[in-house]
Amino acid sequence: MSDPFTLYTARESALHRLHPLTTLSLVAFLFVLSLVLPGVWAPYLLYGAVLLPLALAGGIPGRFLRLSLQAVLPFAISLFLIQGFFWGEGTPILDVGPLSLKSEGLAFAARSTGRILAIVGSFLLLSFTTRPDALMIALSQRGVNDKIAYIMLTTIQIVPRFQAKANAILDAQRSRGLETEGRLGQRLRALLPLVQPLVLGSILDMEERAIALEVRAFGRRGAKTSLAELADTGRQRLARRLLVLAAAAAAAGRLALVFF
Amino acid sequence: MIEIDDFSFRYPRAEVEALAGIDFTVPAGQLCAVAGANGAGKSTLCYALTGFIPHFYHGDFSGSVRVDGRDVLAEEIAALAGTVGLVFSKPFNQITGARFTVREEIAFGLENLGLPRPEMVERIDEALAVTGLVDLAGRSPYALSGGQQQRLAIASVLAMKPQVLVLDEPTSQLDPVGTREIFALLRRLVGDGETAVVVCTHELEWAAVYADRLLILDRGRLAADGAPVDLLAAAGLVDHGLRPTRYTEAARLAVEQGLAPSGRPLPVTLEQAREFFR
Repeated sequence: MSDPFTLYTARESALHRLHPLTTLSLVAFLFVLSLVLPGVWAPYLLYGAVLLPLALAGGIPGRFLRLSLQAVLPFAISLFLIQGFFWGEGTPILDVGPLSLKSEGLAFAARSTGRILAIVGSFLLLSFTTRPDALMIALSQRGVNDKIAYIMLTTIQIVPRFQAKANAILDAQRSRGLETEGRLGQRLRALLPLVQPLVLGSILDMEERAIALEVRAFGRRGAKTSLAELADTGRQRLARRLLVLAAAAAAAGRLALVFF
Repeated sequence: MIEIDDFSFRYPRAEVEALAGIDFTVPAGQLCAVAGANGAGKSTLCYALTGFIPHFYHGDFSGSVRVDGRDVLAEEIAALAGTVGLVFSKPFNQITGARFTVREEIAFGLENLGLPRPEMVERIDEALAVTGLVDLAGRSPYALSGGQQQRLAIASVLAMKPQVLVLDEPTSQLDPVGTREIFALLRRLVGDGETAVVVCTHELEWAAVYADRLLILDRGRLAADGAPVDLLAAAGLVDHGLRPTRYTEAARLAVEQGLAPSGRPLPVTLEQAREFFR
């Protein structure tokens, strides 16, 4: 069972068996850690020593590693180039023409890249191991508004959905002779006949999706039930509380370091 | 079951009414087909029967629409969900995206109705069996073919046990086998004598075979109402922007060419054509 519009990858792992809110709490804790850990290398350590082993335990190390790097690489390149060469006052370590590479800029870029890597890794871990519909049900059961939970779910799906629709339109336009390969100008010109049907088509799709939801009583007020039984245990409930507390403590500790 | 009385509707900024003076009733146990050229008002009628007009699509309206005794124009759409169901033409857009498997997708509406789990399971199994999706229950809705997705859309609405099922061109993206399956399924549905089905369609051959009754819409007005075989064989069909079935056309050509005797009623269905050309 797989859904082409989510990253969820079915595996028989302990991480997959966790209650969605437990995984969400864990990821929230790791997210806070990646922001508050001091130093340049701590977020890399978090990624390598915590997130990667967790991905390994979840049976998804290859995809996890590949997607993390794919997502972070464009940020890393621009960060190192911009911060390295355009850091205000700093220690030059290499001159390239009129520009000079500053060590402070590189350190900042390395720290920011590490944080982005750890944050991306945390969310990928959640996406790979937690069914989005189960997360939506769990949030609804905890009193989160259904519509907000649904928006969260569809937000996860929006990029692959757009991609699938864009590919279908692109194929249709190509079959009518539109040139989509070649020089940059040609590629840009090919974008126009793609964007209009993509945007208009998506708006129409949204309208029909809204009707489909209403037909299925989504807007009905009153108590709702769930077919899925989300397994939860006392240990997990305790772990969730501890993770939330730990995240709050880490954030408070960092703030204390800044202000005192 | 369905009572629509002198109903008219005009979309905002439209110059003419999309529906004008529509008046008919559909009793429980009847499969009623609605035909008409594009723009005749079929989809508007579907939205009016299910409450999406005037609650989702706003505009000027008059008259009344009642389904199972409930005033569709006054009640909220969500409150009508267990009474009247709607299936439309694009199967893909009817998948909510909120659930992972076919079984869970069917459950989505039942969860919103707040049904207890055992009743949900019973209804899901029933809907899967009726629509022939039992073997696909564990699959992702996105992994199904267009025809299977349309059957899933129907199953999802059927599980909510509406007294009235409205379908807007449900077979427009299906192959001939899938089209026939859907019409056969609708025929079985009304067989319980408790459900009324209204299906808007261009598939006149299948409407002639399976429907009890045919309504023809022409530029927003109810142009004809009667038995499908009578209306589809009538000479005035083309005046309403509809094309006779291939059997009627073949028979008419045969009569014109002197290959078949004139004066007999023209066939509409395959069965009738077999008799005609015997």
